[in-house]
Amino acid sequence: MIPKRKILLIYLVNLKNMIKLVDKPFTEEESLSVLNHYVREWFRSKFKELTPPQLYTFKIISEGHNILVTAPTGSGKTLAGFLAIISKLIDLAERNQLDDKIYCVYVSPLRSLNNDIYRNLTEPIEEIYNMIKDRYGVELKKISIGIRTGDTTASDRQKQLRKPPNILITTPETLSIALSTTKFKEAFKTVRYVIVDELHELVSSKRGVHLSLSLERLQRLAENELIRIGLSATIYPLDEAAKFLVGLSNGEPRECLVVNAGWSKKFDIKTLSPARDLININETEIEDKAYKLINDIVQQHRTTLIFTNTRSGTERVVFNLKRRFGFKDEEIAAHHSSLSRNVRLEVEENLKKGKFKCVVTSTSLELGIDIGSIDDVIQVGSPKSITRAIQRIGRSGHSYKATARGQFIVMNRDDLIECSIMSYYGVNRYLDSFQMPRNCLDVLAQHIVGMAIEDVWDVDDAFMLIRSAYPYKDLSKEDYLSVLKYLAGEYVSLESRKVYAKIWLEDNRFGKRGKTVRVIYFQNTGTIPDEVSINVISLENKKWIGTIEEEFLEKLKPGDIFTLGGKLYKFQYSRLNNCYVVRSDSKQPTIPPWFSEELPLSFDLALKIGEFRRLMFDLVKDNIKELSIYANYRSANQRIKKVLDNLPTNDEGKEAILRYFVEQYKYCKEIGSDKEILAELTDNIDNKDTFYIIFHSLFGRRVNDTLSRMLSTILAEKLDTDIRILVNDNGFLFEIDSYFKDAIDKDTIEELFNEIINKDRLALLRRNIINTELMKRKFRHVAARGFMILRRYIERNITVRKQQLNAMSVLKVIKEEYPDFPILKETYREIFEDTMDIRNTEKILDLIKKGDIKVVFIKTRYPSPFSHNIITFGHADVTMIEEKRMQLRKLYNLVIKSIKEDDTR
Amino acid sequence: MILDNDIEILDGLEIAYIRTLDYIVATDLHLGYEDVMGSSGILIPKASLKMIKDKIQRAYDRFKPKGIIVTGDIKNEFSEVSLGEFNELYEFIRFLKDLSLDMIFIKGNHDNFIDRYKDAFKFKSYDQYVKIDRYLFTHGDVDLDISDIDTIIMGHEHPAVTIYTKVGAKRKYKCFLYGRCNKHRILVLPALGYYSTGTDLNIIPKSQILSPLLRRCNIDKLHAILIDGNESLDFGELGRLRYI
Repeated sequence: MIPKRKILLIYLVNLKNMIKLVDKPFTEEESLSVLNHYVREWFRSKFKELTPPQLYTFKIISEGHNILVTAPTGSGKTLAGFLAIISKLIDLAERNQLDDKIYCVYVSPLRSLNNDIYRNLTEPIEEIYNMIKDRYGVELKKISIGIRTGDTTASDRQKQLRKPPNILITTPETLSIALSTTKFKEAFKTVRYVIVDELHELVSSKRGVHLSLSLERLQRLAENELIRIGLSATIYPLDEAAKFLVGLSNGEPRECLVVNAGWSKKFDIKTLSPARDLININETEIEDKAYKLINDIVQQHRTTLIFTNTRSGTERVVFNLKRRFGFKDEEIAAHHSSLSRNVRLEVEENLKKGKFKCVVTSTSLELGIDIGSIDDVIQVGSPKSITRAIQRIGRSGHSYKATARGQFIVMNRDDLIECSIMSYYGVNRYLDSFQMPRNCLDVLAQHIVGMAIEDVWDVDDAFMLIRSAYPYKDLSKEDYLSVLKYLAGEYVSLESRKVYAKIWLEDNRFGKRGKTVRVIYFQNTGTIPDEVSINVISLENKKWIGTIEEEFLEKLKPGDIFTLGGKLYKFQYSRLNNCYVVRSDSKQPTIPPWFSEELPLSFDLALKIGEFRRLMFDLVKDNIKELSIYANYRSANQRIKKVLDNLPTNDEGKEAILRYFVEQYKYCKEIGSDKEILAELTDNIDNKDTFYIIFHSLFGRRVNDTLSRMLSTILAEKLDTDIRILVNDNGFLFEIDSYFKDAIDKDTIEELFNEIINKDRLALLRRNIINTELMKRKFRHVAARGFMILRRYIERNITVRKQQLNAMSVLKVIKEEYPDFPILKETYREIFEDTMDIRNTEKILDLIKKGDIKVVFIKTRYPSPFSHNIITFGHADVTMIEEKRMQLRKLYNLVIKSIKEDDTR
Repeated sequence: MILDNDIEILDGLEIAYIRTLDYIVATDLHLGYEDVMGSSGILIPKASLKMIKDKIQRAYDRFKPKGIIVTGDIKNEFSEVSLGEFNELYEFIRFLKDLSLDMIFIKGNHDNFIDRYKDAFKFKSYDQYVKIDRYLFTHGDVDLDISDIDTIIMGHEHPAVTIYTKVGAKRKYKCFLYGRCNKHRILVLPALGYYSTGTDLNIIPKSQILSPLLRRCNIDKLHAILIDGNESLDFGELGRLRYI
């Protein structure tokens, strides 16, 4: 019997576009009919029905198609991915053909998830085998399951080599090592199925890029075409994620069916403002109200999960809930990455058992660890992306039939607008798209070393294999060859080559060089950089106070005040990995504690916010006569009310939004939007020595970072001065010496944009970035990933301190002597494409060029309302002038000036 | 730039010239640094020796001196000598020989090996220090009796200055330190080795100063002469450069 559906599938995959959405589920009958009869019997006795993803996957996987499934928590995801495979393995066992070979590889980015999966697999398999034995008296050969991660002991590893498990559960890093292990190579020949779990975590990171190459290497070792199964939370765009999963064959994407069951849950999302007026109210009152809102929600539910985005926020919320409402230690817990592994595991375990009333987390619980049933998800502050918001909220609701509930609690007006728009689009199932890193040369270098250990390669064959991984489909031959040359030691002198060279390269072939390479590869493979933790030490009593991150230290200059463990300290100087401070009597930190942790707003959501601003502002403008800054949203006219009522926001929030827009209009008649960049020249009211140009640029922090660096580089050269930059999601700010205030007008700003539209923008950015701490840190990370700096070498851990050494001097030499050095090229790429967002910036510049986005200039006496959050919450960096010599002169003048001032005092 | 009647520094170079002696002075070359790092798995492109030679060549062209004094840490490693260091040291001495420079090496704690070349190349080497006329040339890592010394010239400290501008930019510059120290004058040379970028003496507390000789001075009263590209500029007293 050929089911009708099958004919349709064959038709679909014959189309040129190999990625196809399947939007009609199979019937239960159809789905179960493909399973082994024992498995079917077990399933029927165990479950009343199939979950939405299972109604697709059993059949599609059985028929040997690649598949990407998005599925919500509680929808039987593990079985959806595995049951068809278990069924095939039991078929084999029935025929006495189940050998000690690997049939299925399961990869997850989370080690802790591996243990969950192991448990979730052994249980049903046990049950099936027990049923077969009890009911039929048949004893079949057991399906073996093995976990292999960085934690696996040497003896277990050896056992796995001797007797490979039928299902291998592993991580991306361990998989890439296994691929270069001689005995494992043999065992991989029989692999038929690969399951990639938490695909949404992988598609946008270098870890995922790393895995994509491993999958192609695995495909080469496997005798059959792999059947690839991707499991993911809601994600967009689906076809890109599918291509990432399946890769290419002969330059064309492999076939993949896509099932979008991620929305089978209902979502109930709300944005809650604690007050009508978030400005003329003192801090404590807002806080009181916000905590009351949170407590009310927590009390209504059995278990609530609270996301705060930052670790300090997590601690603060836990502290406040305990203090204000008397939560006990066994009712509430914090979970974030600074806590020890044991503490985190204990919290997860107790959460799973339903012991907590409430768990507060920074971001660490958004990954797919099995956390049991959550009734509600609260987000304090914006999660910055619709997709992330939906993924977090999707963790609530006991099963796929329950409703996922989530609330955003906002503390300022920009957050209020942002979360309102986010919840609006979330409810309407619009997601923002992920961005996949492309052509990463550091990850490539690692794999080439791995491949060289595995075999001797023809240069062109290896190139073919690499380009079949989707993130490398457009890799240029030039870049590929430069990585080969780098690894072969061609960038260093002959006598040093034997130390550095990891491969030999001749006659269009390459292979491993030397005995230590294998060890180097095993010890250093992976994409997550060693972060430096900086010790904070009191100068007064030489005592250790705590740690901060290197990224945070980069932002500090002597005299800056920051909080640590609830106390204020003044930064004095840093040395090696120590940062020396004294206690500060000041009331306020000059650098907020979450400075290096804040997530950037997604580009798509930023555009939606810009669009809302434009619509709302136009409405306010049309009706300004009847609106006051104390406007009541209920009495506003129908058109305004309709727009506000579309938002899933409480009344307090709607009113606050309306008043915010009215203030801005009355003050300066202009606003930044998706069609307008507003440049506002204004005074720095805290310091008469400088003034501000504030760019209301509604494109998110990554584009704003890029744009602001381009503009400031030119402006700094033009004015011949340093410019301090603050960047946030809604704009950026230049702080400039007051001396130049009169030099800036409408024409200056227009000219600036014209220049970056017409100039070599990459060269401009390179010039901007080369002397920064960011460049040094990224270079160190890329160098470590690309094996230029080994993190571990011959039984020794290379301290991060040593890795840090002289990054600046090394960079200078490389820039001058070897401009095409792949590690340098990758550092630039990572900064421009992954940290900043050059691609979307180009889109914006193109729209400016076409006139679709206008640049408007205004002067204000004080900064306008919509700029206040930029001034108070920006991210700082400094544009330096390229000419160091000039700089020296200028510094000199500054020094002389300050000396003269001192002298006349 | 002329420091006093007898000591001159050439703009943009970490090298001093002593007129009455007709010698140039440099310090802390750390030859072989790249190879030493390489053997611990860190690829550092070769650059230092080439730049050192360029700089000495420039000083040579300007002053045509009789000889050169190197006040220690000629090579990088403490004890063993790697092949790379051996090669670089040889190349360096060969280079000086080709310029027909007399060579005086003060051995720092890294430099015992240098004596192996002593006979072949006919240079002088001293443990810790040498007194010539009114000058004491020393590496700077050990305390010495300096009661009858007029001017101390030393290395070891790798002096540098970090400057923050009003808007938060940060730059580090190698520098000379020069001035009166108790009854003597003192000149601390910056490291000539390219990768030795220095210690920002205007930022760290005085307790972290390495050299016992320098610890005895009030370094805040010493002038910092910053080096950058082709220029050297006297920024005045180091103490003035704290927290600017």
